[in-house]
Amino acid sequence: MIVRPVKVSDLPALMTLVQQAGPGFTTLPANEDRLAHRVRWAQRAFAEQVERADADYLFVLEDDDQRVIGVSAMSGAVGLREPWYNYRVGLTVSSAPDLGIQRQIPTLFLNNELTGQSELCSLFLRHDQRTGSNGRLLSLGRLLFVAEFPHLFGERMIAELRGSADEQGCSPFWDSLGRHFFQMDFTHADHLSGLGNKSFIAELMPRQPLYTCLLTEQAQTAIGQAHPNTEPALKILQAEGFAHKGYIDIFDGGPVIEAPIRNIRTVRDSLELTLSLGTPDEQAPLWLIHNRRLENCRITVARGRRVGSSLVIDRLTAQRLQLQPGNSVRAVMLPNQQQQAVAA
Amino acid sequence: MLVLRPVEITDLPQLQQLARDSLVGVTSLPDDSERLREKIAASCASFERDASAHGPENYFFVLEDMDNRRLVGCSEIVSTAGFDEPFYSLRNRHFTSASRELNIEHGVPALSLCHDLNDHTLLRGFHIDAALERTPFSELLSRARLLFIAAHSQRFAEAVITEIVGYSDADGNSPFWDALGKHFFDLPYVEAERLCGLQSRRFLAELMPQYPIYVPMLPLAAQECIGRIHPDGQEAFDILQREGFETNSYIDLFDAGPTLYARTANIRSITHSQTAQVHSQPQIDARGRYLLSNDALHGYRAIVAELDYQPGQPLALTPALCAALNVSEGSPIRLIAL
Repeated sequence: MIVRPVKVSDLPALMTLVQQAGPGFTTLPANEDRLAHRVRWAQRAFAEQVERADADYLFVLEDDDQRVIGVSAMSGAVGLREPWYNYRVGLTVSSAPDLGIQRQIPTLFLNNELTGQSELCSLFLRHDQRTGSNGRLLSLGRLLFVAEFPHLFGERMIAELRGSADEQGCSPFWDSLGRHFFQMDFTHADHLSGLGNKSFIAELMPRQPLYTCLLTEQAQTAIGQAHPNTEPALKILQAEGFAHKGYIDIFDGGPVIEAPIRNIRTVRDSLELTLSLGTPDEQAPLWLIHNRRLENCRITVARGRRVGSSLVIDRLTAQRLQLQPGNSVRAVMLPNQQQQAVAA
Repeated sequence: MLVLRPVEITDLPQLQQLARDSLVGVTSLPDDSERLREKIAASCASFERDASAHGPENYFFVLEDMDNRRLVGCSEIVSTAGFDEPFYSLRNRHFTSASRELNIEHGVPALSLCHDLNDHTLLRGFHIDAALERTPFSELLSRARLLFIAAHSQRFAEAVITEIVGYSDADGNSPFWDALGKHFFDLPYVEAERLCGLQSRRFLAELMPQYPIYVPMLPLAAQECIGRIHPDGQEAFDILQREGFETNSYIDLFDAGPTLYARTANIRSITHSQTAQVHSQPQIDARGRYLLSNDALHGYRAIVAELDYQPGQPLALTPALCAALNVSEGSPIRLIAL
């Protein structure tokens, strides 16, 4: 398996994938023109032909038979073209000490505070391929890319997780809040936002601070609550140091998780090592490995042994990375691996 | 005979009874003898004060049955709303949002805490015995205040407002309060109203939501309270509406009852009332029913009477009517047909 930049020839496979993902996949709508546009734009980003504000790094996960089975992406920066909105969950205290009254009321403040930060997005892995380390490769491969090319990204990395919804796709947060201002269903609003960006819809959102006591109970519970389906992805990122700092999605109340890029585990702990060929056994830890290239980026997961400043991997892995012994790689062990004591 | 006059300190016990009987939401009548005593004292001082402009005065009137000396009603004028402490309201206005790309523009009604109504003259404290509702005497109790304003216009502002009590159910619950105020005050509606009458209103500023409230986010039952009148407040509303008062997109903080507004110069009893000189006469024809007042200050009196009035002529009053109004031959009198 490798993670690599998307190519125009991936379009048919991509279309199949997004159709499988269903209507909730807002950033990759099942629309040929939109997909083609996105792929072209991503290629320009990998060719370093765009500014950070417009950079869209769209990766695919490809198996050894060149079948595309997953996608993941990052944007260089949000909100530098069209404004990027979130609600921040703050607090209002209503107090009259003389009367012994104090009320603490969580309050939502519409803001653009995450402007300029980089974003993880568009993550989808075919259901039948959700095995082994595929998920971690697809998700964390992006962060290893960031470790190699930090100048392409901002100070923080954010990720919006889908918020609570019932089986019919109804969002209690939307029904209690957004619906009153748009008079449309959540799925329609979601679809519209996937077509381009959220800004023109954000123009219609209420801009005044909102007292959460005026929302329904289910809507209040939905604030900062990730959809159960996002749990695997959430766990991977939490292990990397991502945390919820109070920002939520303006439509479904889902949490934004974030981390300073330099503190992300993969970024912080990755090492520049020299490739060496060998036969690491089944006890050897799993490494996430990047060939350190940009336009020809290739990232994989393989068993490896660190020996001094070398990383010993097998021939197949080197081939997947399109590298020779002696080439430089950037690598980090997958989390929860045993540290192997190695004699230099 | 029922006579309207300024309150006196000796009225305190009866006033307390009236306060007990009055509608929840008429917070200017607290059921508390200390507060009522202060109120009476402040009113008496106002009637004594030489005022060339409107200031901190409150003019409190009672309606007395002269046959048995029983108080059957009361009403009040606050010269300047918000003189000591801001007069808070909720302003009900649309916030407009538009999206060119989606071709949507809409106005979302929102309620904003404000004190826009500071500096207006405020009518309040209207309460009358149930038996006298929808009689000429409730007109007297309410509109005599307007005749008083006509007689002493320099003591009052250029616009007059009043708050009509908003809807609450038979158990004393206000759906609007339950949806909004209760979250901030942590008190039942009746208790909050009671506190309002007793305390300095500063606690309102400390507790009320400072950010606008979007109306569509309130439960339907609360939305329906906006501008809705309590059934027992309907008469007060009707009398003043006939006077030219109109609703103006301001509502009460607690129960969303409507505020009525009129420019002083446009109030019917003020523009259409006429003055005449008294002529005492043993008997008079009863041709029409009128509200009558003397133009005095602390000797103010107003009554309802059946008269035979010819504009431009002295007004014939019986000795009993003269006594009730505390006037004599040649005194000025103000009147308007009922």
